[in-house]
Amino acid sequence: MIKLHNLTKIYELNKNNKVVALDNINLEFQQGELIILKGASGSGKSTILSLLAGLSKPTNGEVIIQDQRISKLPDDFLALFRRENIGFIFQKYNLIPTMSVWENIALPLIPTNPDETILKEKLSKVMQQFNISHKENSIVKNLSGGEQQRVAIARAMINNPNIIIADEPTANLDEKLSLHFIQILKQLKSSNKTIIVATHDPLFFDLDFVDKIINIHNGRVQ
Amino acid sequence: MQYAINSLLRQKTKTIFIIIIFTILTFLLTSIFFITHSIKYELDTTANNLPQIIIQNQQAGRLTNIETTILDDILQIDGVSDAIGRVWGYYYFKQANVNFIVMGIDNFENQYKKSFTNISNKYDLSDNNSMIIGNGVKKILKKNYYTDYFNFITPGGTLKKVNIKGVFNSNIPLESNDIILTSKDVVREIFGIDEQYFTDIVVKIPNPKEVNTIATKIKQLYPNTKVITQEQLKVSYQEIFDYKSGIFLVLFIVALFTFFMIVYDKSSGLSSEEKREIGILKAIGWKVDDILKEKFYESFIISFFAYLVGVISALIYVYILQAPLLKNIFIGYSALNVDFILPFVLDTQSLFLVFFLSVPIYIAATIIPSWRTATIEADKVLR
Amino acid sequence: MFLTPEILTLQILNLIFLSFGTIAFILSIKIALKWDLNATTKLQYSLEKQSFLTATIIKYIFTLKIPLFLFFIFTLDKLSNILPGAMCAAGVVNATVYGNYLLVLKVINIYIFGFWLVLHYVDIKQPTLPYTKQKFQFFIVIYFLLLIEIIIEYLMFSSIDISKIVNCCGTLYSSAATSFISKLFLISNQTILFVFYFNFILIIFSYIKKYKQLFSIVNFLFIIVSIISLILFFGTYIYELPTHHCPFCYLQKDYYYVGYLIYILLFLGTFNGLLVGFSTDDILTNNSFKKSIIFNTLFVLLVSAYPIVFFIKNGVWL
Repeated sequence: MIKLHNLTKIYELNKNNKVVALDNINLEFQQGELIILKGASGSGKSTILSLLAGLSKPTNGEVIIQDQRISKLPDDFLALFRRENIGFIFQKYNLIPTMSVWENIALPLIPTNPDETILKEKLSKVMQQFNISHKENSIVKNLSGGEQQRVAIARAMINNPNIIIADEPTANLDEKLSLHFIQILKQLKSSNKTIIVATHDPLFFDLDFVDKIINIHNGRVQ
Repeated sequence: MQYAINSLLRQKTKTIFIIIIFTILTFLLTSIFFITHSIKYELDTTANNLPQIIIQNQQAGRLTNIETTILDDILQIDGVSDAIGRVWGYYYFKQANVNFIVMGIDNFENQYKKSFTNISNKYDLSDNNSMIIGNGVKKILKKNYYTDYFNFITPGGTLKKVNIKGVFNSNIPLESNDIILTSKDVVREIFGIDEQYFTDIVVKIPNPKEVNTIATKIKQLYPNTKVITQEQLKVSYQEIFDYKSGIFLVLFIVALFTFFMIVYDKSSGLSSEEKREIGILKAIGWKVDDILKEKFYESFIISFFAYLVGVISALIYVYILQAPLLKNIFIGYSALNVDFILPFVLDTQSLFLVFFLSVPIYIAATIIPSWRTATIEADKVLR
Repeated sequence: MFLTPEILTLQILNLIFLSFGTIAFILSIKIALKWDLNATTKLQYSLEKQSFLTATIIKYIFTLKIPLFLFFIFTLDKLSNILPGAMCAAGVVNATVYGNYLLVLKVINIYIFGFWLVLHYVDIKQPTLPYTKQKFQFFIVIYFLLLIEIIIEYLMFSSIDISKIVNCCGTLYSSAATSFISKLFLISNQTILFVFYFNFILIIFSYIKKYKQLFSIVNFLFIIVSIISLILFFGTYIYELPTHHCPFCYLQKDYYYVGYLIYILLFLGTFNGLLVGFSTDDILTNNSFKKSIIFNTLFVLLVSAYPIVFFIKNGVWL
């Protein structure tokens, strides 16, 4: 269901300075799998996630999701695909600090001009699921780290996507919150979502519900 | 769209700054249009009271007085219902540095203006040393300590004392303000005009379609004269106003251009905060088109809001406060401060004009900056 | 040049259109030459970005063009108060040699800009962006039309001479005129009415049978036939005067500005009708069919109402 085919990404910092972030990656994931991309920072795992979500385009090779050649799509179609199929949880959460919780969560849906009742339904459902309903009107920058993370997750899930991508989700969390996050992952896995997590946090490496662990080193699969 | 409004509210300083400048611009522009429109309207009404034809004599290309004998010939022309010789002039009052219009009317004569007929019926000026003055004249004389009479200095150097018998109140302030009405003999004395001459002759023609033909006839009879029709007067007023408002329009364009540059500059310089926000939006599935649409809503809301505020303030400024300062620029009618009230005439044309001159231009200024924002690569921003 | 604030506004906005239009033009050339959706080069990515800018500029110009066109007509109407002899916009249009051409060109440009926008929307609906190259090649042509329009408009306004007397619509739109319009008046009322309604029946017929090409063609003809019918026949019933044929006077207040409604309906009906002929997208075709038939019908009803109401009120025809 997700195929990475001869995927290569080269960053050109200037004419003489090229960085090979990914070198000929070939991977395949099935629907419903939980996959951990393991590797040190700079190894290229974030780049893989970025390409998977269509946030950048490969220098060579293809990303194919659900039989769609993502890397060939024009920007706006990519955005649409992202909106409907992918929930991305960023390392730094990337919430808009001056907006409230519910506004942040509702963001992905705004361009679709949704019906107000439907929007409210989706919002309350997802806020309840991640236990953040009681803070719905608080401004995000006033929330604790754990609460912000839950907002980020809720935002990623508002459209009920099939694919969830998380980039170093526990890097800024203490152990308690990291474990809490893993609980949420388990919850999501049970609803047959495909989950891909990039991390070098050892907490992830002994979990029993992980399907694959892939080592990335210097832009290549080990 | 709600999001656009909220987003604007979140960037308060920048938004307010732009709104203020923009509002001031539209306010100025609209005020100018309203003022000129009202004055034009006034003048149009005044112009309708003007005589259909005015005949003035010329010698060596300059205006001189016209012989009284011509009057009879004019009366003979077909279509002319009346011809009246006027005796009048501009009297320069040195102390106040103003010109008064001194107009001669005689009782028991046809007046060319209804308001004059009323005066000549009401006041007897035949004692040859009384006058009726307009409000503006009264004020100026009072300032210079003349309350009951005034001393005119004749060309010969002698003083002519004339008593103030009353104040002239016409319902059209523009015309009555700087006028002094007295008997024709007094006027002749003040300006040294001989009995055999009029200053000019006004002709009444009941059928407006015949005015042009009669004007031509008069011109043929007396080639030295200058024959001006009411229509020509109206057109020349219109031209003066278009000219004056044209100047302001040009100034406005310069201001607008500067504003355009400022807007462009300000919206191009995106803070890293803003860039991040757009990056986030794109990452969570906003299309370039969505961002462009949102930016457009922002621009439209700002410009339209500023437009409305500008127009409403202009309405208040011009019609309720009576446009202090600006009004005087346009009334170069005479050196006297014309103390009249701008009539309220709803000028929808001006509203559309100002709209087209403001909103689309602001939006144009934001096209390229908005596009730059919307096409930021999410990836670069979020790393 | 005779400058009123209205003319100045029109010229300023034209200048803006010209500047932005030129930017769009240059970008269009780049895209038309080098576009390759499958390429993964930096060039292609920047072309994709620029494609958005061009589309935005064109949308901006088009969106403004329409109210501006109405404002243009309105300005002409207002100018008629200053130009000696002119009683309505007709006099102003005919005051210069450019007037008629400018008007026709403006209308054509509105149709064409509209077509570009429809093409654009069909293009971006599909991930393969199938019409991008053609879209921008098309714009290159449009740019030249826009350029010509702006130049002619400038020429027209600068050559208006307020001391020259112009013809009023009474003489222009009558059998006494010297242009080809006078030849139109040789056509009898029955003939033109027959042609008008027959054309409309053809429109209905091709709608029912869904003959796309035929529908387009008859809509195109309908533009011409309608305008002629308005001048020769329907106009006289709006004015209730058998000799008043002017197509501009009913844009004025005295006739409740009905002229604007009439022309807008005609435009919307025929624009959608023409679209049908070019459309390859089914949803678009169906929508356009529907819109065209609705607006055209409203148009026919509106203009037919005048003579019918007149007859009911007065018992005779003009």
